[in-house]
Amino acid sequence: MNSTIPTEELRSITLSVYRFDPGKDKKAYMQDIEIEVPVNKDLMVLDALVLAKKQETSLSFRRSCGEGVCGSDGMNINGKNGLACVTPLSEAIKGEKLVVKPMPGLPVVRDLIVDMKQFFDQLEKVKPYLITKDEAPEQERKQSPEEREKLDGLYECILCGCCSTACPSFWWNPDKFLGPAALLQSWRFIADSRDQATEERLDDLDDAFSLYRCHGIMNCVSVCPKGLNPTEAISNIRKKLINRKK
Amino acid sequence: MKEKDNRPVYLNLLAIDLPIIGISSILHRVSGFALFLIFIIAVWMLDRSLSSEEEFLNLLEDLNSLVLLKVIFYLFLVGIVYHSLIGVKKIISDFFGIGEDLRSGSFISWIYNVISLLVSILLFIKFFI
Ligand code: SF4
Ligand code: SF4
Ligand code: FES
Repeated sequence: MNSTIPTEELRSITLSVYRFDPGKDKKAYMQDIEIEVPVNKDLMVLDALVLAKKQETSLSFRRSCGEGVCGSDGMNINGKNGLACVTPLSEAIKGEKLVVKPMPGLPVVRDLIVDMKQFFDQLEKVKPYLITKDEAPEQERKQSPEEREKLDGLYECILCGCCSTACPSFWWNPDKFLGPAALLQSWRFIADSRDQATEERLDDLDDAFSLYRCHGIMNCVSVCPKGLNPTEAISNIRKKLINRKK
Repeated sequence: MKEKDNRPVYLNLLAIDLPIIGISSILHRVSGFALFLIFIIAVWMLDRSLSSEEEFLNLLEDLNSLVLLKVIFYLFLVGIVYHSLIGVKKIISDFFGIGEDLRSGSFISWIYNVISLLVSILLFIKFFI
């Protein structure tokens, strides 16, 4: 019997990664790392980073689930924010080069790892939890299937930060404009039939910056790895704010 | 406390993808600002044209002979066309929720950009050729 193990055909690509080590570097720089990837099999960008890390062991990035669930590996891949673990190389690569940088606008802790504090501070402001005023019922707070359906496209957010860090309004005012991710969550609770703090939530958003800095550019929509639409959520809130004034 | 402020922030506008809607939005702002500046000149022109018949004719003369004035006037018209078209798009999507998903939004943006470009070309031909 002829049992040769097929050897994988490989091709080399250049990974150009953003490097910064706070202990060593004064400035960030780009480093080219050559890696070998299989010709007839597609990898994800995260796999390519793992391959690169075998050569450059100090290369740092966050990752956990590897399948688009935990939201820890958001980064800027050839100019577009996305999760490295669910972005196929074949889609991302331009020519033979893959350029990977951290998510824009946030302080870099090291290499591809950014400090998400500003992002989570904004999320905290929208009180992303159910607020109720009535006494808690014996069992659960009931919701009809129709009411539940209103939360589709909202609850799926994994807080990866891809949207907010692709939003020009968030770049300029990360402390005053809440950003698409936090606003999507705000709408998620305003739209929830069980939540009883709608008025207070709207009051909190009713200033020149928190929500109204959104110019409907839809960068957020174009990058969301879960296919969610923060712009729509923002305009739903805006409609509520306007109708309330009438 | 660790030093925090020497941490770099990555933000290279030229290397980050900006879909058509974003580009339109930025051009909308730029054209708005340019209009504001040119408006000052336009008010001066209006003032001149209204002061007397003679001045009005002089202004017409200037418009035909001074290239710079012509260019400014041309930019003014192009700016108005662009700014109002994209402005109308924004109003439509704010009030009626049209073009709020990425595909229809991009589609509408493309249409408006192409229309503006065509009008600009037509005006260019009318003005300079
Ligand atoms: S809305 Fe999408 S891009 Fe934004 S944080 Fe949630 S999952 Fe990430
Ligand atoms: S639509 Fe609004 S929130 Fe989304 S990227 Fe644009 S400005 Fe930011
Ligand atoms: S590693 Fe969990 S989302 Fe990519």
